[in-house]
Amino acid sequence: MLELLSLTPILKGLIVLALAGLTFPITGVYLFRLNLLPLRFMLMHGAILGGAMALAMQVNPFWTTIVVNLILVLFMANISRSLKIDAGQISSFFMVISISLAFIFIYKFNVPAKDTLTLLWGNLFTLSWVEVIGIGSFAIVLVGFQYYFRRQLRALFFDREIAFTSGINESRLYYAVVFLVAITVALAMKLIGALLLDAILLLPPVIASFRAKSLKGMIIGSAIWGGVFAIGGFFLSIAIDIPASSSIAAIASVAFIIIYFFRHK
Amino acid sequence: MKDKIAGKAATCLIVYFGIKRCHIELLSKRAIPVFKTYGIEFTYDNLVDHIQCRTEDLINDKMSIDDTYLFLRKRAGRVQGLAVNLENISVRIEEKMVIDHFNLHLGRGEQLIIQGANGAGKTTLLRAILGLLPIAEGTIKIGDYLVGGEQWKQNRNVIGYVHQENIKNNFPISSGEVVQIGLGTSRISKSDSEYQVEVAMRRTNSFHLIDQPYHTLSRGEMQRVSLARCLCQNARVFLLDEPTSFLDQQGKEDLLLMLQELSRNEAPTMVLVSHDLQWIEQFNWSRKELKGGRLC
Repeated sequence: MLELLSLTPILKGLIVLALAGLTFPITGVYLFRLNLLPLRFMLMHGAILGGAMALAMQVNPFWTTIVVNLILVLFMANISRSLKIDAGQISSFFMVISISLAFIFIYKFNVPAKDTLTLLWGNLFTLSWVEVIGIGSFAIVLVGFQYYFRRQLRALFFDREIAFTSGINESRLYYAVVFLVAITVALAMKLIGALLLDAILLLPPVIASFRAKSLKGMIIGSAIWGGVFAIGGFFLSIAIDIPASSSIAAIASVAFIIIYFFRHK
Repeated sequence: MKDKIAGKAATCLIVYFGIKRCHIELLSKRAIPVFKTYGIEFTYDNLVDHIQCRTEDLINDKMSIDDTYLFLRKRAGRVQGLAVNLENISVRIEEKMVIDHFNLHLGRGEQLIIQGANGAGKTTLLRAILGLLPIAEGTIKIGDYLVGGEQWKQNRNVIGYVHQENIKNNFPISSGEVVQIGLGTSRISKSDSEYQVEVAMRRTNSFHLIDQPYHTLSRGEMQRVSLARCLCQNARVFLLDEPTSFLDQQGKEDLLLMLQELSRNEAPTMVLVSHDLQWIEQFNWSRKELKGGRLC
């Protein structure tokens, strides 16, 4: 099985998946703590819009989905702040707008819908080295952000008003978190697809939260579980010849059930 | 101990610091009852009716030695608290005037209890002072900082906020991590941070809880940890919003002692809002009622 790693696309897939598995669950913790789950749906639909636009304009879908998601987040954040509307409600609105725009692009530019919907499955083995370096750089930024702002993030997750009164610019930090989540969702969609990205984004923090007593414990636990699922899923997919996204999701789900059962023991 | 001149203020300090015997060259007659009450042996060279000193006039017989000590510290500016000045502020929530042309002036290290029925606007007032709610008119100054101003944005941590400990999320966070939030954006080493957290938690008798998940603590323990957070923040004004809401009798007594000790030692300026009349009766802080958006 290891001889397959001599093939560049497979090696790149392993490197990226390991990086993503070890770092992306950090934003999963953010999603849970700031109750940003509706935002995740908006970003998933935004990525489909980005894919449709990229195919229509014949540009790189990887970078287009990231840019589209960042623009959506920018709009969402500004509207939410200026109109004082809950971010979740605005996210739902943009979710609907995104998918409707995606279908307009598909219809007007004769984009094969099948190609756009490949985003739902991800495409781990078609990454270029530039994309691998891009994902690696983002993983470093994510870890650096978490380390550098760990105390402020803890305050933000604990209570936004307490964070504010402790002198933390919680509003700026919140939007930084939302931006990182946007990029992570776009990248995770490229790697394992929209339908299964929760296996790498959300299940690790959920499992880590069973035992964690502190935010530090939750971040480290999430990263470990994410790494185990990603690397384990990768080798399982090669061993039994199934898509990597499915094997990652399968391992994560089995682990979740076992750990959930044993947490009460 | 020997001193040249002693009025009532100096006498109270002699008692406070536990001095048992003294000789004063020029003694005020007003000091003698204090010496006698506390059994201090004293001698003097000259006795006068009173000393020409404004402070001596301000100390009245109802003040305990502790009260007098705190009063003298405030007069000397030796307190941690900052002045709080609210000038003619109004706060509207959804077109309803909750705070109506409200004025409040608290000196450094002063304490005030604001009582009032539910919905009277007590929490709104605190949130306005914190800058969490915009004010429709008026100004709020904490020390030299105008709330909402540029300088204040850099120094928001001068106010420590203790709310009703009704945090709804239960994400894993240890008590030590909660206290560490008080360090805000300060860039200090890990050892310094741990030291400051330990000192703050020891001050509120909560150091034994440092590794315990915050959400598993009792309400009383949560209040201790929150006060430790404010101490760690080095807050100079404490705003306490209904701190007894979820406390049992023992918790209330513990909190009372802690706040009294805090007012004696660090002497921050403190505003406590509560509708728990039985509990606030036990404080000797000044008290006002919020009614119809104004203080009575």
